[in-house]
Amino acid sequence: MKPVRPITIAITAMGGQGGGVLAGWITQLAESQNYIAQSTSVPGVAQRTGATIYYVELFPKEAAKKAGRAPVLALMPLPGDVDIVIASEMMEAGRALMRGFVTKRTTLIASTHRIYAISEKEPLGDGRQDLEAVQKLAEDTAGRFIGFDMEAAAQSAQSFISSVLFGALAGSDALPFSRDQFTAVIRKSGKAVKANLSGFALGYAKGAGQKDSIEPEAGGTPASTTTPLTPAPAIAPLLAHLHEEFSPATHDMLRLGLERVVDFQDVAYGTLYLDRMSAIHALDKAYNGARKSWRLSKAVARYLALAMAYEDTIRIADLKTRSSRFDRFANEVGAKDGQIITITEFMHPRVEEICDILPVSLGRFMLQNKVANSALGFFFAKGRKIKTTSVGGFLLLYTLAAFKPIRRASLRFMQEQKRMDHWLDAITNAAPVNYALACEIAGMQRLIKGYGDTHARGLKNYQSIMAALDTIGTDRNANKRLQALKEAALQHEDGQALKIALEKY
Amino acid sequence: MAERSFAREVQKLKAKKGETFHGEGILAVTKALLQSGVSYVGGYQGAPISHLMDVLSDAEPILNELGVHFETSASEAAAAAMLAASVNYPLRGAVTWKSTVGTNVASDALASVASSGVMGGTLVIVGEDYGEGSSIMQERSHPFAMKSQIWLLDPRPNLTAITQMVEKGFELSEASNTPVMLELRIRACHVSGSFIAKDNVRPAFTLADAMENPVRDYDRVVLPPSNFVHEVEKIEKRWPAAVSYIKKHKLNEFLGGHKGDVGIVVQGGLYNTLMRAMELAGLADCFGQTDIPIYCLNVTYPMIEDEVRGFCADKRAVLMIEEGQPEYIEQALNTILRQADLSTRVIGKKLLPRAGEYTGQVLREALSAFFADQAPGKIKSTAVDHPLPEKEQKTLMATVPPRPVGFCTGCPERPVFTAMKLVQRKLGDFHVSCDIGCHLFSILPPFNIGNTTMGYGLGWSGASAFNTPASKRTISIMGDGGFWHNGLTSGVGNAVFNKNDNVLVIIDNGYSAATGGQDLLSSRADNANRRTGQSIENAVRGLGVKWVRPVNTYDLGKMVKTLTDALTTSDKGPKIILAQSECMLNRQRREKPLRNKAIKDGKRIEITRFGVDADTCTGDHACIRLSGCPSLTIIDNPDPLREDPVTRVNNDCVGCGVCGEITHAAILCPSFYSAKVINNPTGFDRFRAAIAHAVIGFLQGRADNKRQKYSFGTTP
Repeated sequence: MKPVRPITIAITAMGGQGGGVLAGWITQLAESQNYIAQSTSVPGVAQRTGATIYYVELFPKEAAKKAGRAPVLALMPLPGDVDIVIASEMMEAGRALMRGFVTKRTTLIASTHRIYAISEKEPLGDGRQDLEAVQKLAEDTAGRFIGFDMEAAAQSAQSFISSVLFGALAGSDALPFSRDQFTAVIRKSGKAVKANLSGFALGYAKGAGQKDSIEPEAGGTPASTTTPLTPAPAIAPLLAHLHEEFSPATHDMLRLGLERVVDFQDVAYGTLYLDRMSAIHALDKAYNGARKSWRLSKAVARYLALAMAYEDTIRIADLKTRSSRFDRFANEVGAKDGQIITITEFMHPRVEEICDILPVSLGRFMLQNKVANSALGFFFAKGRKIKTTSVGGFLLLYTLAAFKPIRRASLRFMQEQKRMDHWLDAITNAAPVNYALACEIAGMQRLIKGYGDTHARGLKNYQSIMAALDTIGTDRNANKRLQALKEAALQHEDGQALKIALEKY
Repeated sequence: MAERSFAREVQKLKAKKGETFHGEGILAVTKALLQSGVSYVGGYQGAPISHLMDVLSDAEPILNELGVHFETSASEAAAAAMLAASVNYPLRGAVTWKSTVGTNVASDALASVASSGVMGGTLVIVGEDYGEGSSIMQERSHPFAMKSQIWLLDPRPNLTAITQMVEKGFELSEASNTPVMLELRIRACHVSGSFIAKDNVRPAFTLADAMENPVRDYDRVVLPPSNFVHEVEKIEKRWPAAVSYIKKHKLNEFLGGHKGDVGIVVQGGLYNTLMRAMELAGLADCFGQTDIPIYCLNVTYPMIEDEVRGFCADKRAVLMIEEGQPEYIEQALNTILRQADLSTRVIGKKLLPRAGEYTGQVLREALSAFFADQAPGKIKSTAVDHPLPEKEQKTLMATVPPRPVGFCTGCPERPVFTAMKLVQRKLGDFHVSCDIGCHLFSILPPFNIGNTTMGYGLGWSGASAFNTPASKRTISIMGDGGFWHNGLTSGVGNAVFNKNDNVLVIIDNGYSAATGGQDLLSSRADNANRRTGQSIENAVRGLGVKWVRPVNTYDLGKMVKTLTDALTTSDKGPKIILAQSECMLNRQRREKPLRNKAIKDGKRIEITRFGVDADTCTGDHACIRLSGCPSLTIIDNPDPLREDPVTRVNNDCVGCGVCGEITHAAILCPSFYSAKVINNPTGFDRFRAAIAHAVIGFLQGRADNKRQKYSFGTTP
């Protein structure tokens, strides 16, 4: 007969996620069922958002009685010696895998949602790590893998993730205790019993392999019910043009781009977009774009739309006064009936942003004339809080948005068109010699984003790289060099990495 | 009010003889103190013994009933000095702190009490913050015991062994007139388990008895010639007394078998880990039964020479399992064997790593190597494989991100460092001297601010050398905990006296936040058992600092301005900024239940939280780099044209408003909004909302209609 061994359970969590609560529940559950239970942890400063491990061992009292001795229980998990690993987040499951806690004998219960680490959140671009690699390893390595978004389940039950994890553990049947014995522990605690039980139920269903009963969290803008099925008469010719002239592979992106620029300005602006794209598409065609799945056309379609629909004060005012937005906020803050919601926007337009939307000559004058500049600066030195749910605040932005028809005369419009022309020229010049380089130049638009200081920094990086295009050259590796520069620009906001990279050329 | 309440658990301390006590290690230690008839207890919080202080604090009514005095000492030094009560009187006392940092602070008083010797049993409970989860320099408490001649206990990590060792510790202390140190590792402090309780004992001789009938004995004072006498006494009287007590009461254990020519010597605290490693190697069962002889050192100082000789005499080799370095026990073992002319080989650091925690895996590998060498065939399978192949390991190493600790959601300390980051953008980088406390997280991403940290309350003294004319000043940081611990004198007093011209930022959040939110002198909240509400501003002004500026930390603009002023002013002399705001964790704990109740009762309550407008967020994450708030996270960009993820404020947001402040101070983007949810709105609220809704709705309808004219439709 095989000797009785303790059941070993490792809980990997982040400080504040309730790992301690879960360990406590498991301990109480086991003790209530005639088991010797021992739990321990090393919280320390990890209690402040760091990764930490709680470790529990369970041993049947009966076996100890039979042996006439108390078992010697360990205070930390050993690689290859863990029966159950519970991870409150997918990368923490990855950490458990890395430490060797997950093997064929392990039941791995993990929430597949992500809580991004600071290293993933702070980059200027996209610093998120590949979740799929970890998930696949979890599936392949664990004897049994129970994974689903438990955070979403917890939220839908208005509970905490610990209750869902506890439910999934019960459902997994990895412990020799019944569902009722599990829930008795939650009931006995007397704290948030109802919410915890409903979180538990969701976890149990998934743990036991029942059908998905959790609705995915609603995200994004709810489609307006008033949107007609067919395009408006003013738009139809544009779409017809699009379908006639462009290769089908590019249609999706072009349509998105076109919709964006028309929404930004007007139909004529949409025509300008298509005209510009026409030239690029022809170029793409001439240099075998069809065999490169129209990479250049697609890239320019995306970035040209973003460049043409740039962010100025008029645009912000327009976006911030739309009806769809108000509904979304109510949804996002989880407002209930009977509550009133007020929205206050944090804005900080600088003198530059104000001059941007003035007519070219006036805008220039205000920027360059010291007296005018400082007079204006007096009014815009401080950030503003605008309550868009109040009549006054709303009207202020609504009026600003009404500047849209005269945007074409503005200083910023002129500057942006000039920059786009220069950018399109660079793409056009590069495509015949180095297709990949042309695509890379198109992607440079990704550096320009944000407002105020953020925008100024991005633009500066963009300009210094564009100015170096000649030195970068057009040979086979030119696109790689350009890509490296772009990555350097996205590396750190102080621009040191880019400066060093640029000095190399 | 501390972060974790033990109000319910402390009732267990009343357990009577024969009852089974279930609970955490630290709670068991408290119970053991009461069973030992302790008269006074003191200490200073810090992981892993923070909860011990919290338990004692929550248990004050129970302690008072038994006539036990409990003091939240100002520092570990203050706690150690408390032991002086046991020098002249038969009073049992215990103190506790985080080690080795706390022992460093306490060592002056510890050395004195060890020299004087004690009449009443004295126990120093040190929480050894070593290995995984530790936040301090990796050192041992062992040499403190050696240098001052304090006996060091390292019991097996189960509640029965720990509580027994507390009781025996007092007896040993009294038998040898020497203070005793009880070392508990992190996991042992937090381990749950059970033991059979005894009745609590009311001290026969009370503190009041001592105060009313003082006894003076010059022989016990550390002054010539007594100090010389003490040294001789230590060697000739106290040491032999201790050895005979330890032997007689079998504090060390001979476990396992009695045959064979190899054995294992292990520190008691590592016994459970060793047994699991042995079980997995097929050398033991899970009840700790093995035929390999084990000498378990529940007392790691002094070494009992007879026992060592007896254990080693018939052995070719022993494996010495001793965590940390230098390897004092191994050295002592070798000396004893050499002097006894025994040729037993002691194999310790030769096989085991010199640095780092002795985990199960480490011991498993050591066992495997030891037996392969000394007793081949003893372990059948010596392969200790990692369950994952190397390639997969590498993938994970590259994918799983490090998870450094950081400021909590809504933390009032965060804006201080955001402000510093913004100031540095304008004025260039500064030398920043840090202290101990949550504010130390500023050293980590996304702030990356900080040069050195020299110890609790030593933030300003850590920069005291830079007291010379230069074009830039230095910035030092100190928490309120560090300030009262010793920063007031060694930081502020030192700066005033030496005419320092630099800047100190004191983080005045009202609690000793990092150790679990304990109250301190300047806490704003009332505390029934302690006097709070003392002003840090008055304290530093009283020391002669003229330039003092209290700033609300959430007012980012003002913080930036004040920092800039302090760094650039032509005023000479020390400059102190008091960064004031309450720890958000504590505040939430206090306010949330009240708020929820008010809402339930139908009162008008506004709740604010923040959000990011995905329409206007372009995914640069400058806000995250300036804030680092855990509730600021990222999600896929809902705009199909954009690739970079956008920022999102998750449901943890407590509405502190710092992200909005950052938007203004750093001129970021117009994406942040605050949403105020009014619960139980009044008639006027509803009237105003209805008017706004009508006007806005009308205008929005008009705009919607206009946009319809340019609709692309829903079909592609």
